[in-house]
Amino acid sequence: MIPALALVIGVVLGLVLEPTVPAALQPYLPIAVVAALDAVFGAVRAQLEGIFDDRVFVVSFVSNVLVAGLVVFLGDQLGVGGQLSTGVVVVLGIRIFSNAAAIRRHVFHA
Amino acid sequence: MTSAPTQQPPGPPARRVDGSMSLLVDMMANTLDEAYAERAARTAGTAPGGPSEQDPSRRGGLGRRAVAGLVVLALGVVTGTAVAQVRARQEATTGLRADLAGEVRDRTAATDLLAREAEQLREDLDAAQAELLGADAAGRAAADQLRLLGLASGTLPVTGPGVRVVLDDAAPPEDAPDATLRGGTPLDGRVQDRDLQDLANGLWAAGAEAVDVNGQRLTALTAIRSAGDAVLVDFRPLSPPYVVRAVGDTAALELELLDGPTGRRLATYASLYGLRFSLERSDELSLPGAGTPQLRAATPLEQESTS
Repeated sequence: MIPALALVIGVVLGLVLEPTVPAALQPYLPIAVVAALDAVFGAVRAQLEGIFDDRVFVVSFVSNVLVAGLVVFLGDQLGVGGQLSTGVVVVLGIRIFSNAAAIRRHVFHA
Repeated sequence: MTSAPTQQPPGPPARRVDGSMSLLVDMMANTLDEAYAERAARTAGTAPGGPSEQDPSRRGGLGRRAVAGLVVLALGVVTGTAVAQVRARQEATTGLRADLAGEVRDRTAATDLLAREAEQLREDLDAAQAELLGADAAGRAAADQLRLLGLASGTLPVTGPGVRVVLDDAAPPEDAPDATLRGGTPLDGRVQDRDLQDLANGLWAAGAEAVDVNGQRLTALTAIRSAGDAVLVDFRPLSPPYVVRAVGDTAALELELLDGPTGRRLATYASLYGLRFSLERSDELSLPGAGTPQLRAATPLEQESTS
């Protein structure tokens, strides 16, 4: 409940305040969002399975964002940033979908 | 961080200790972060022995929850920022396009204004010239000569009797894909630059004093040529139908167009390719001037060089 509220408040804050992001960091924002979403879905699933842990969530969240950003940054340096972004999005997307499926099974038992 | 090898759940042997780092390795096999299971197993194992460790780590204190909430808040802020940025970029793009279109309109209007101003100034200049030259006999003679030269060279507008010829592409076939496009007419049935050249040359040969094509006055320096599908007259692209007007001896012009070589050639084209061609005489044709020609050569006044 509180995390959901925090998410909504955060989105509204970001939309309203429109913080200026350094141009160098702009390409990594969408990747960071997808990576963080993966950690969030994993946390929700863990919560439903009764093994949620705040510390694991925070660490996985931060490391997800950092690793995804690092991979894309490296790709940019090597000239394949676009392809690596696609790869990261595909991998994280698969994880998000399977976690969402597990959450669905827990919630609806279907 | 979790270094409890005895309590690791069974899995691939080469797994890294820190489960949260195995993001891209086992994405298909193990979608849930293993760290959760590890942590749960570890707390379950250590709980009986050390209850002091359970409280701060698992389902930890208020501080931990606040950190988790803050992390989710950060995710929200980043998401909102990313969305806002994409929107801003889109707005910038559409705004740029609108700006460019507006600039094109502004510049076109400015060009029109300048053209009108140039026309006005040219009239003023002509009036001033006529006034100055009209003072004495020599001046009037010079003015007359200037006017004749202007008429002959095509820089001055001309009014008089003449003929009006309309030349058009062949009618597009019934099954043309798009009759409104010029592509509906087969290539053979289109008026070529050469046809217009022949027509103009025939009119000059028959004694025309002034000729224009779709309002473009022909001078000695005007080229009729084609670029791609378009016929250019004086480097301006024109589209059919082509209206060619000639001022001169109406009877001679009509004779040339009806029975002369030009007329016969056009009639042949009309029967062979279906070009449409019509001719009418007019008692009063007004042809525009071609404007002041570019100054290409000048010599200093004789008196100053000799004295």
